[in-house]
Amino acid sequence: MKSAAAELPVPLQPLELIEGMVTPGSLDDQVLQFPDRRPPRAWYFALAVTLTALGIGGFCMAYTLYYGIGAWGNNRPVAWGFGIINFVFWVGIGHAGTLISAILFLFRARWRNAIARFAEAMTIFAVMCAGIFPVLHTGRPWFAYWLFPYPNERGIWVNFRSPLVWDVFAVSTYFSVSLVFWYLGLVPDFASMRDRTAEGIRKRIYTVLSLGWRGAASHWVHYDKAYLLLAGLATGLVISVHSVVSFDFAVSLVPGWHMTIFPPYFVAGAIFAGFAMVVIVLTVVRKTMNLSNLITDNHLDTMNKLILAMSCIMGYAYFMEGGTAWYSANPYIQHTFKNYVSGFYGWAGITTVTCNIIIPQLFWFRRMRRSIPAMIFVALAVTLGMWMERFVIIVISLHQDYLPSSWHLYIPTKIDFGILLGSFGLFFTLVLLFARVMPVIATSEMKASLPGAQAGHGGGHE
Amino acid sequence: MSSTTTTATFAVLGLYSDAQKIVDAAKQIRPRKLGRLEAYTPYPVHGLDKAVGLPPSPLGKLVLGMGLLGTILALLLEWWTSAVDYPLVVGGKALFSWQAFVPVMFEVTVLFATFTAGLAMLFAFNKLPFFGHPVLHSKAIKGITRDKLALSIESTGATFDPEVARQALIENGAESVEIVPIPAWDRPLSLVGLLRTIAAIAAACLVAGAGLFAAEKMIPVVPPMLHMHNQPKLNAFRSSTFFADGRGMRPAVAGTVARGHLPPAFATPEEAGTMLANPLPLTQKTAERGRKVFNDHCAVCHGTVGDGVALLSHAYGAKPGNLLSNEMRARPDGYIYGVLMLGKNAMPSYAPDLDEADRWAAVHYVRVLQRSQNAKDEDLR
Amino acid sequence: MTTEAPRSSLVRNALVALTILGAAGTALVYVCEGPARFWANWLVWTLFLLTVGLGNLFLVALERLVGAHWSVPMRRVPERIASLIPLAIPLLIIAFFGVPVLFPWTHAEVAHNPILVAKAPWLNLPFFAIRLAACALVWLLFYSFYVRGSLRQDQSKDAAFTVKARKLAPLFMVVFFFSVTIVAFDWISGLEPEWYSDMFGVYLFAGTFLSGIAGMALGVLGLIRRGRLPDVKPKHFYNLGTLGLAFTVFYAYIGFAQYMLIWYANLPEEVVWFKHRIEGAWYPVAMLLPLFHFLLPFFLLIGAVGKKNPKILRIAMVSILFAHFVDLYWLVFPVLGAQPLFGWPELAMACLFLGLGLLQIRRAMGRGADMPVGDPLLAKGLEWQL
Repeated sequence: MKSAAAELPVPLQPLELIEGMVTPGSLDDQVLQFPDRRPPRAWYFALAVTLTALGIGGFCMAYTLYYGIGAWGNNRPVAWGFGIINFVFWVGIGHAGTLISAILFLFRARWRNAIARFAEAMTIFAVMCAGIFPVLHTGRPWFAYWLFPYPNERGIWVNFRSPLVWDVFAVSTYFSVSLVFWYLGLVPDFASMRDRTAEGIRKRIYTVLSLGWRGAASHWVHYDKAYLLLAGLATGLVISVHSVVSFDFAVSLVPGWHMTIFPPYFVAGAIFAGFAMVVIVLTVVRKTMNLSNLITDNHLDTMNKLILAMSCIMGYAYFMEGGTAWYSANPYIQHTFKNYVSGFYGWAGITTVTCNIIIPQLFWFRRMRRSIPAMIFVALAVTLGMWMERFVIIVISLHQDYLPSSWHLYIPTKIDFGILLGSFGLFFTLVLLFARVMPVIATSEMKASLPGAQAGHGGGHE
Repeated sequence: MSSTTTTATFAVLGLYSDAQKIVDAAKQIRPRKLGRLEAYTPYPVHGLDKAVGLPPSPLGKLVLGMGLLGTILALLLEWWTSAVDYPLVVGGKALFSWQAFVPVMFEVTVLFATFTAGLAMLFAFNKLPFFGHPVLHSKAIKGITRDKLALSIESTGATFDPEVARQALIENGAESVEIVPIPAWDRPLSLVGLLRTIAAIAAACLVAGAGLFAAEKMIPVVPPMLHMHNQPKLNAFRSSTFFADGRGMRPAVAGTVARGHLPPAFATPEEAGTMLANPLPLTQKTAERGRKVFNDHCAVCHGTVGDGVALLSHAYGAKPGNLLSNEMRARPDGYIYGVLMLGKNAMPSYAPDLDEADRWAAVHYVRVLQRSQNAKDEDLR
Repeated sequence: MTTEAPRSSLVRNALVALTILGAAGTALVYVCEGPARFWANWLVWTLFLLTVGLGNLFLVALERLVGAHWSVPMRRVPERIASLIPLAIPLLIIAFFGVPVLFPWTHAEVAHNPILVAKAPWLNLPFFAIRLAACALVWLLFYSFYVRGSLRQDQSKDAAFTVKARKLAPLFMVVFFFSVTIVAFDWISGLEPEWYSDMFGVYLFAGTFLSGIAGMALGVLGLIRRGRLPDVKPKHFYNLGTLGLAFTVFYAYIGFAQYMLIWYANLPEEVVWFKHRIEGAWYPVAMLLPLFHFLLPFFLLIGAVGKKNPKILRIAMVSILFAHFVDLYWLVFPVLGAQPLFGWPELAMACLFLGLGLLQIRRAMGRGADMPVGDPLLAKGLEWQL
């Protein structure tokens, strides 16, 4: 049966997903050692940097609360600035995690096993970062709970016809579902940690968190079913969440916003940006935590192929947007699209296209896909490009729409930049803490796909 | 291994390292009906659930049903709030704009389905969290969550023979066997303990709820949230350091005319008397309106019957006019209107207080009063 | 290779008779009902055959792109159904002669419409013809490469073809997306040239992909029923059900998003296209779409049972194909008027095109082995486990 694979020419052979010899026991020892060890000095240094960024952001958020949204650069007509740009950016980053853990699970792509846990964690952290912005930008965030429909003494309800309310439901559902999905995956791993740790407070914590999991076959039956169902639900959710975010723009009449392709265009962009972030984080993690035998060059190669595919989809979307803008013969849309690449903010549109479409084309070349410096360069470019894309969509469309007397430039303030920096600080702080405290690879999932793990035919390949 | 037949046995565990071996062993042992068959593994082994005799999970149907329930509940919520309880036309769309309701319906469907999947799987089907299971306190558990696959033959009662089970496992390739006793305490989860836990959670919820409620009431009135109320902006009803007169409110520019209050065309009441006639017909309604206007604005000085004797007469030095006098009765309607509009002596102009209809209604009522105080016999018939 | 049994030649003769009857009826339609109705039918059926063929070719290339193994034993079926492409291309070229009849932007009064004048650099017959020729060329090139190459590989057993097929797959994807978008804009949305929706290419892609899966599934199940695919088990076509479910949801998502966005903003130039298709007599036709393109296949395919059971899978796939046809009818026919036309002309032309299509597929089913026996990945595909 394995002989079939041996006859295949090299390009057709299945990817090796594990380097060297890995057994369930060695996997546990390699991955689960970190919560018991002191982290290296570099970790503390990195944490100091991210906490500084977080602190700056925290100060700027407090400043905003104290002085109001006037501290931001928002004006009329550009009433949505960095607040919404950052919100869409971070929600988008979260989508890659769900794609890797849920969608690739449905496709039974075994290469996802080594990276799914980290990616899911990044989803949750990214959604937490994203949530800051809509809450802050309301101006009176202490009333944020008014966004939920509950019977109240004012006698009114939220406006269910508004995409901003759809956002409330979508993002809160996305956060809860991601949390449930992530936690369920962690339960067997917490059980492993419970049984590895000596008696003490840590063991108690793991005992509670593992819910008394004992790996019973009768439990795995229901667990596997739940995991499959959750993967299917999360897939639908990830597509719907960023589509609902795109509806914020597409249901309006602002030229350049009301384009029907927005929902799948935003979803593709989100996956694109998210994958770039996953690549950035994983290249660092696998080096510093010595996990290169589990997160192999083949994993990174495959992710980079997906980044390339998403870049092509984004290229199609940009082409359709521009082409339909011309085809529409609508002078307002055409004016906006001209502004995307020329005029005061033209540099933003050029940067977007360069970073999102042109630079990722490097990944057609296998050497680029497998070179760490190249992939970090491309991933950083994509991250910048995708942030810039939201800037282009929001600021350029708003600053010059129908009525010339309303035209006005948008200049972000230091507070805007500070909060953006703070969101990165929060994200990477959480990532560092996660790597320190929790199993970064889903050991139980990995064990199931190791060679010899299953009866009959082995795993270890795609 | 010493005989453990004196202590009640929960199960006999056989440990394996190879997935194929444990599946084969399960297939061999199951027909012998030595006890309830179970397996404990660090990851799900394909085929082991069937070999042990486990049915597929019914979770899927439950999740689908709950998801659809979520769809319907969301739709009902959106319909009721938007079309029934507080109908509000938004964007010119119908009250029941189902197209706009779909996104929330979808999200709530996924929410219900997900929580059903997660919580039903843990609580209902797997009965977790549960920390008292005997296997958790066995020696084998360390291996089970690491790399060992355990096949368990569990006691079903008096007929269970741990020795036979042990033999069967060794025959079928078990690397080692452990006999797991039933733990010393008989019920790890006692009713009292459960009630205490529930009570503690309920108390915590109450405290948290009360705290949140208090916070919700307090936060808006505490700085910096209070800054929304006391914004450094011009307020019409507050003092201001910005304007020279220290007022936030700006007075109207000299010569400003409010709508419906153009300056009258006459200079004296006599002139008004010659120029104007009462445009309102005298009806019951007009008279009653006039009565209201008179009682509200005029009676305080001129008295309720218009004779100039009123509550405040002694308080003021000025003497209000007697509207019932012969002189007054001889004046034309326009004269009364003119006095009302321009004021006379100590009486100010009532033009800003009354609109046209009120003014003429008051004039009618004065006439009514004059007639009522000088009634003739035929008026009573 | 199966020999022609008496039953199958009966089927062949019936199909030929159907085609000839349809051809006669079609000629009558042109004469009696006028060119507009004739060309509308021609266009709908051509698009149907084209999209089913393209959808199947897409599935072939998609398998190469992602390196899937589970579909290899079944791959000969979509390669054969893709033979609808060389049938549809001449039909499409003939349909070009109907463009001046159906498409308003070819009419003289365009000169007075500033919007259409602005669109004239794209909406003119010469450029239209160039786009048509370019699409036809690339479709034929890729069809020839993938399908003929696979048939040749049956004999040569040369693994190099599989490697090359995998390498070319990304290029095919790019070409496929742009060509389907061109078909959508040129042949469908151009019927109401003032309307625009940049999602429309994706919308047609969703329907194309779905009809590809439906065709492939029906073909596979049909061959299994005739005992010609003994090694293909439920575990193999289970994934066809999964893909069918996923893309049913995807289609509903795209269709709903396009509709809801246009409904919400309520811009006259966009809404009028939907008004023509969901008001009055068109409403019942429009309602067929959510029912047969989404609800029925969704609930049939959502359980694990539906994906493994050939009967349920077949019903779901037939529903999808039927709905895809209704979709194309619903997209094109409103150009003829506020009443959905359905009568003997539609039935006659259905006979012609169904006959041609089924004959073409039947011919293809006789070519080559029933499984891609030369493909080095076949063994892995057969032993693949869910």
